[in-house]
Amino acid sequence: MRQTLARVFSVLSVFSVPSVAAFDFLKGYDMSSEFQWVLKGRCYKLGHDVWHAGGVVPNWIITGRHFDPQEIIPHLFEETDPGFHTRCKPGDIIVTGRNFGMGPKMNGYIAMQALGLGLICESMPFLAYRAAVGCGLRVLTDCVNVSEFCETGDELEVNFRDGFFINHTKDIRREYPPLPDALMEIVELGGNAGWLKHWQAQKQAGGAA
Amino acid sequence: MGMTAAEKILARTSNLPEAKAGDIVYPRPDFVMIHDGVVRGAKEELDALGIHRVFDPERVLMVSDHDVVYVNDRAAARGAYNRKAAEAWGIKHFFDAGQGGHGHIFPTERGWVLPGTLYFDNDRHCTNAGGIGALAIRMGTEINRVLATGTNWTLVPKSVQLTIKGKMPHGVFARDLGFVIGKKLGPDGDFGVDIDYRVLEFAGELDQFSLAARISLCSTPTEMRAIGVFFPPSAAILEYAQVRAQRPFTPVYPDADARYEAKIEFDVSTLKPQVALPGGPHLAADLATVAGTPVSHTYVGSCGSGMYEDLEMAAGILKGRKLARGVRMIVVPGSEDSTRRMTREGLLDVFHDAGAMVIPAGCGPCASGRTGLIDDGENSISTAVANGRGRFGAKGAQLYLGSPATVAASAVTGCITDPREFL
Repeated sequence: MRQTLARVFSVLSVFSVPSVAAFDFLKGYDMSSEFQWVLKGRCYKLGHDVWHAGGVVPNWIITGRHFDPQEIIPHLFEETDPGFHTRCKPGDIIVTGRNFGMGPKMNGYIAMQALGLGLICESMPFLAYRAAVGCGLRVLTDCVNVSEFCETGDELEVNFRDGFFINHTKDIRREYPPLPDALMEIVELGGNAGWLKHWQAQKQAGGAA
Repeated sequence: MGMTAAEKILARTSNLPEAKAGDIVYPRPDFVMIHDGVVRGAKEELDALGIHRVFDPERVLMVSDHDVVYVNDRAAARGAYNRKAAEAWGIKHFFDAGQGGHGHIFPTERGWVLPGTLYFDNDRHCTNAGGIGALAIRMGTEINRVLATGTNWTLVPKSVQLTIKGKMPHGVFARDLGFVIGKKLGPDGDFGVDIDYRVLEFAGELDQFSLAARISLCSTPTEMRAIGVFFPPSAAILEYAQVRAQRPFTPVYPDADARYEAKIEFDVSTLKPQVALPGGPHLAADLATVAGTPVSHTYVGSCGSGMYEDLEMAAGILKGRKLARGVRMIVVPGSEDSTRRMTREGLLDVFHDAGAMVIPAGCGPCASGRTGLIDDGENSISTAVANGRGRFGAKGAQLYLGSPATVAASAVTGCITDPREFL
């Protein structure tokens, strides 16, 4: 099914299915774990060309190198929607237009992940996408025109593993490119730090090459 | 189907017969670089996970370029931490403050970065590697995974081929061309391509570009979000690399039938001297449109103009001249080797006699307001890689960019000046 998804003009559209080199360290990693790949919640819609600095978190969060989710959470979308963190609930899904999260920064994704939110975008600069995956955020990009299919407050259901998108309020279903297989383990393990923790545990247990 | 240069380099280092844009691969880089500004973050994160060793202490270059002259307690503490980190990790190639210089300049001069090399770096300006025909990929904070495991997932990038036509006119330099390329790569640019996470692979009439010029041409596409820039190495560049190589190397050239996302051309023969207007290196404008704008802050150096030849270009204009009253000039060599060569060849005297300040090799003012700051209301013209608001401190300053020749000419007159008047 994944091979049949439409290709679009952006970076991630070129993810091709395998010829992915095996990565020995994680052989035997159980991908059938209970990780929650499906989120059900309300849509929170943003427009095109949102900068990470200012649009997602205030710039001082970035320049001050604040990476503790509890420090960042009160400031998520603070400049455009103060108090967002008090109204969102785990499972809510941020839906954006093109070019979301400009500036390869991760602070906002740390907060989104800690709040249990998901993120689906019409497009993201690749390094923004990489930062989101590295934070363990459930994220989809290259979701063509997705912001036309939902409004803030709609009830959404998104399977980040398969790329299925359902807007229950408007009864719309779409399929988007899922998270590539090679990146699923990173998100399941909670991001880059979680992946490294697992790698280290495997190594100590004698499981690493 | 053939491969682009980036695909070939990633295939080799991933031990695969072929790599194609869109694959996720796990390359084993020739080495890994980390700069002084992020060592502490990476080490503390790894320590917290119980990871106290790097994958190979002999293949990690720790460089010190962002904070070389410690101007505050925080910088001094960072330097002290980095020295301890280098010891704890057993880093063989640790270039402390005052040793080495700019991480995106001196490793090329010293034969670390060679044609066909792949390395991972925390910093995106590692794209300079493309000047000599290498590929370097920015890992950001995920450099910690590379330090621990020796690799990280890498999306093989698409490449865009840019064919240069014609000869650069007298008095027009690589930075001038770079600003124009940046503009054309921009959101509404003439090239009509999306350069985000692409490699910009140069082709065409490239023999006119020296190694320094090629390195200069790497910086603006990087600001436009290219993940890499690549120049097929000329015979002269292979010779340059051969005499300083730290290890054997095999140069890489794209296949004739390589797959490019787009092929574009640009005729450089009618180009005029440019500036980048305040706000971004892609805001190219004919210098003539802003000629006469007063400047008080001038600076030559950075990833974009940090090779010896760039210093020579500025010195050629300053020789026998003085800076205009009210103008200060900061010269930042890309390497300590360049500083020594400047002493030997008399450039240091030229700069000092003109009234310029030569500071130790490194990033200089371009490292986001650590040295050589500017005040609100002042205008600057420099060879920095970027000129976003506040790059040199005060947010109310106007930051123009130009070639080393333009910066030197402007420092002499006190206003933005066409360098051809001095050539």
